[in-house]
Amino acid sequence: MGAMLHLEKLHAAIQALGEQTVAQRRKNAAALVTAQEWLRHAPAPEALREQPLPSEEPGPALAVPVSDEPLDTVTVIATAPPRGALVIGVDGSQIPPDRHAAILYYLLQVGGLRFTYNGQAPTEHTRPTLHYAPSELYDAQEQLIGSQLGMRRTVMELEYLAELVESAAQPGILALTDGPLLWPYSGRSDEERAHLLPAYFAALTRMQQAQALPAGFVERPGGAPLLTLLRTSRPTVPLPPLAPLLSDQALMAELLPPGGRSIWLRRHSAMNERHQQHGQRICFCYLNTGAPDYPVIARVETPEWALAQPEQLDLLHAVLLHQARLLAGYPYVLARAHELALVTSQDKAALEDQLHRQILAHGELLRPSEKARQKGYLSARRR
Amino acid sequence: MSEQVITIGNVLRADIRSFVIASRIPAPDVPTFGTFVRAPIQQGRRQLIGLVYDIRLQDDPFLRNLAVTLDETNPAHQEVIADQQQRAVPVEISVAAVGYRDEDGAYRYGYPPQPPMILKQITVCPEAEVAAITAQPDWMQPLLDSPDAPADALIIRTLQRAQRVHPPAAQEAYWLQAGRFLARQLGREPLRLETLLRQLQT
Repeated sequence: MGAMLHLEKLHAAIQALGEQTVAQRRKNAAALVTAQEWLRHAPAPEALREQPLPSEEPGPALAVPVSDEPLDTVTVIATAPPRGALVIGVDGSQIPPDRHAAILYYLLQVGGLRFTYNGQAPTEHTRPTLHYAPSELYDAQEQLIGSQLGMRRTVMELEYLAELVESAAQPGILALTDGPLLWPYSGRSDEERAHLLPAYFAALTRMQQAQALPAGFVERPGGAPLLTLLRTSRPTVPLPPLAPLLSDQALMAELLPPGGRSIWLRRHSAMNERHQQHGQRICFCYLNTGAPDYPVIARVETPEWALAQPEQLDLLHAVLLHQARLLAGYPYVLARAHELALVTSQDKAALEDQLHRQILAHGELLRPSEKARQKGYLSARRR
Repeated sequence: MSEQVITIGNVLRADIRSFVIASRIPAPDVPTFGTFVRAPIQQGRRQLIGLVYDIRLQDDPFLRNLAVTLDETNPAHQEVIADQQQRAVPVEISVAAVGYRDEDGAYRYGYPPQPPMILKQITVCPEAEVAAITAQPDWMQPLLDSPDAPADALIIRTLQRAQRVHPPAAQEAYWLQAGRFLARQLGREPLRLETLLRQLQT
């Protein structure tokens, strides 16, 4: 059977997209020169902190420096992680509810790897949870849940991370999660207000009490909060506008050598203020985990209280570099956590087989919708 | 019968003579050549019995990525190397059917009435079950004609392994019974028979 996507019908669009990408990259390259100039001659951090900040969202995200180091300061760590250092990474995956399936449920699974620098094999951890109560499947408008699933998974990941930290029972643990630590959703839904955000903040507090250092690792971060700061710091100087798609990542790829990290910044946002109300305001830096001529820029997020422990931040820096060097820029412990969390289509089929047998044992036979059956046949044909 | 259930994976594809299991299991748990396994058939009323005859490690892009970086002599890589040794590896395990356990608990040898369905879970047969299956030599019959499995090597390995689950006093009779069975089945293939018997004697 030939390809189902008729590429010849997209020929003109593919050509246009290619041309647009090249043009954008050239435009970005020119804008990057300006951005580097702005960074080199940025006002002192004290002055930047004193400038009026936009009071309301939405608007471009903006960061402010949290220390008095010049904005283009680069920190390089040459030490390896010390023996005994412990890093725990978690990640999650899910089977979303499907109204065409024979049985309505959703599944979350979090995987974790506990990696101690002691010459021994790390330990694997997983926690799957099956959800099927109507109150879990439907929202207040009696609609099947959608985006709520990602939020619940985010909370479950952080709670599991806190649990693994507590069970390890030693101070100084680095507790890594794949993604931002700053709550990445709007915070406007009832469920977030009533349940999810309090649980999320509580998990961060548990790790603080266990003297761990929680950190979020965001590879290839989008956004330009630092560039926005640079732009707003020069309101009276007529400068060419930056290309709209230019991000902090591109600027950091020019600034940071392999292994180097930027200064710590704090995102100015309503969500971060909510974190602050619970003592969990989030700060971030950029880190180059790549190699010469192959920068891999990550945004590393941690609670502001952790900045009072510079030796722990250096440990985080050293551990991330060691972990990332094994996998071309991405931390090993997070890659393995992802692998442990992953629910494959085979896992899903085996789970549903058991569910069907359980229901069949009670004399009931369920079937998926006709649409789901036909789609299943068609996707099987294509494999 | 009290038994420890070791699940090794799910059926990926099957026919009446053999089936293939896809699995992600830690290296120490990968079954060995000649392991007896079973799979539910006919809605679990019967249990197909088979022998592992091939184990293929599948391509693992994650490991390929690591392989260019890891250095066994580098102390900074010790934990990762140890982790890879415990990590679940994607494997395909091929199994030749030799019979099935009927609803009355008796073992019937030969091809099963039905192959296992896709994604059915496969478990390793405990020792007591291996002793029961190999109490009669007829489990060798389907293997002798197998076009896929390396029948002779599989029979020798399985006989050697199965010997250990029979009481010492019964082992001589066990070998004699197996030898006589092979002599009857391979009467028209004297060279093959001689090679098999010689290997069994060693």
